[in-house]
Amino acid sequence: MSIVVQHAGKEIGVPPSRVLSDISLEIQDGEFVALTGRSGSGKSTLLYLLSSLDTPSEGKIEISGKDLQKLNSDDLHLFRNRHMGFVFQFHYLIAELTALENVLMPTVKLHQKEKRRPAAESLLEQFGLKEKMARLPRQLSGGEQQRVAIARALVMEPQYLFADEPTGSLDSVNGDIVMKIFIDVNLKNKTTVVLVTHEPDFARLARRQILLKDGRIQQP
Amino acid sequence: MIYLAIRYLLERRKQTIFTLLGVFLGALAYVAVTGFFTGFQTFMIQQLVNNSAQIHIEARQDYLTEHQLDEAFYNQEFRYVFWRSPPSGVHGYLGIQNPQSWYERLKADPRVEAFAPLLTAPALFTLAKVSVSANLVGCDPKQQGKVTSIANYMIEGEFSDIGAGGNRIILGDELMKRLGAGIDQTLLVAVKTGLPVPFKVVGRFRTGNRGSDTQAYGALNDVQKLNGTPNQVNEIGVRLSDYTQAAAIATNWSRIAPERTESWDQQNASILSVIRLQTILRWTMTMTVIIVAGFGIYNILNMTVTQKRQDIAILRSMGYDTYDVVVLFFSQGIIIGICGGLLGLVCGYFLCLYLQTIPFSGGSSYDPQAHLQISLSPGIYVQALFLSLFSSSFASILPALAASRFTPIQIIRSGA
Repeated sequence: MSIVVQHAGKEIGVPPSRVLSDISLEIQDGEFVALTGRSGSGKSTLLYLLSSLDTPSEGKIEISGKDLQKLNSDDLHLFRNRHMGFVFQFHYLIAELTALENVLMPTVKLHQKEKRRPAAESLLEQFGLKEKMARLPRQLSGGEQQRVAIARALVMEPQYLFADEPTGSLDSVNGDIVMKIFIDVNLKNKTTVVLVTHEPDFARLARRQILLKDGRIQQP
Repeated sequence: MIYLAIRYLLERRKQTIFTLLGVFLGALAYVAVTGFFTGFQTFMIQQLVNNSAQIHIEARQDYLTEHQLDEAFYNQEFRYVFWRSPPSGVHGYLGIQNPQSWYERLKADPRVEAFAPLLTAPALFTLAKVSVSANLVGCDPKQQGKVTSIANYMIEGEFSDIGAGGNRIILGDELMKRLGAGIDQTLLVAVKTGLPVPFKVVGRFRTGNRGSDTQAYGALNDVQKLNGTPNQVNEIGVRLSDYTQAAAIATNWSRIAPERTESWDQQNASILSVIRLQTILRWTMTMTVIIVAGFGIYNILNMTVTQKRQDIAILRSMGYDTYDVVVLFFSQGIIIGICGGLLGLVCGYFLCLYLQTIPFSGGSSYDPQAHLQISLSPGIYVQALFLSLFSSSFASILPALAASRFTPIQIIRSGA
């Protein structure tokens, strides 16, 4: 199982402006890949295409052998729920729910809340948030909020973890903590991690770097 | 998603309470206003149905038309008659032509519960130097008591006392006051150009209706003797087992006999049209309150959808689909609708119970302890709840559908 991209491209806006051109790549299961490049190079756009949050204007993208563009909405959302986790630059925690409730949100869709509660608590404990499970997001620091977001992305034990500048809003200490979590998840759970970052130090922590420039992959 | 919807509502407590208050007041107003108006209309209809006969059979008198007498004067000698001064006036009969056949017909009709013959004559009542013109109604007190509820409005004496001996009358309260008369006093009563005849006052009634309270009742044969028309009756009042059939029955009878036959609703068409207008006004008023409450929900949910765009983005990325997003926002409106509606029903019910304690006898003596009639019909409460839910649903579905159209990528790209 892997992510296969064949000649994918993307245009955005009216009038359309080309963001990605002729992207072809393959990401193997269990890989840790960093998408790097300058601002506006199309890294985030490529991440959204790989993760099915956006659709390519041309080309084909398959994940685990499935062309996600051809799946109906119900199947696509189920696939996302079971097999994908997302971490964004902003934590996007639901303000009305506690840290633990936020982590358990993906499990509610499949009525697995009670079944996955121990796993959720374990994740929060691993991320140093054992005493803060009952706190609301506004009662947590920026780093703690991002760790809760990562726990939420991992609670369903996804095959794929997509992270878009997860350290962008964090200080260096918290940034290091987050990167360490990604490395651990990749090594221990064999989760495929696709990370967008413009920080070279963090990009180097990945096993493979894909450099984007002006919407195209730069060959090394 | 319901539990997340509840958390959203609880987090914005003030907003939720004020929106809920709108629905609550709408439901409360609907229950109380509808209960009040429906109770009042029931009271009015009961008054119309019980205070007077449900069908009146009266001697027919019609106005003469221009060419009605052409054949009588000229046979068929001329094709057309031009009158210099056309005939005018009233033609008909002063009394019912064949009352016996009516009595037999009414006795045989299973729809008729009771009937009472009447002779009404304009009379002059004199006590000492005071004279008042009013109608004198001659009736059989036993039968009249079965057809109308006049016996219940007695404030002094019994209605049956007019049949206890000769020349006895019962006066309406208004007539009694104008004459300055009292019980056991003797009045002089004269009709047309006849001689005044002494009558003893044996009772007094008050219906609350000034027109009715300016009448007097006497025994039928006394009034027939006074009027110089023995055995004559000019009206038969009928009570039915089902008053709602009155119009249809009256129309049917008017085809088979020369008398004028009118039902209680035909006679009171103007009052009934006022009642219908009241119903329209009531509906308009209460629906407006409920719709305005719905607008409150719409505004709040629209704001919530805008504020919760980030939540929508992350929920969609977690695998929640458009249906889940619709449920998330739609259920907030429904929860407010149900809670506000139910609260409004309960408080509306207690308000109606309180309104029932307010004294109101309609000015009549029927039941001095009477109170406002408020309808507690379950149908009103079901309607109120249904309207609250409908208004909330309609107001919620539009913002919910708008929220479901957001894609995660739109939200993320917009930086929301």
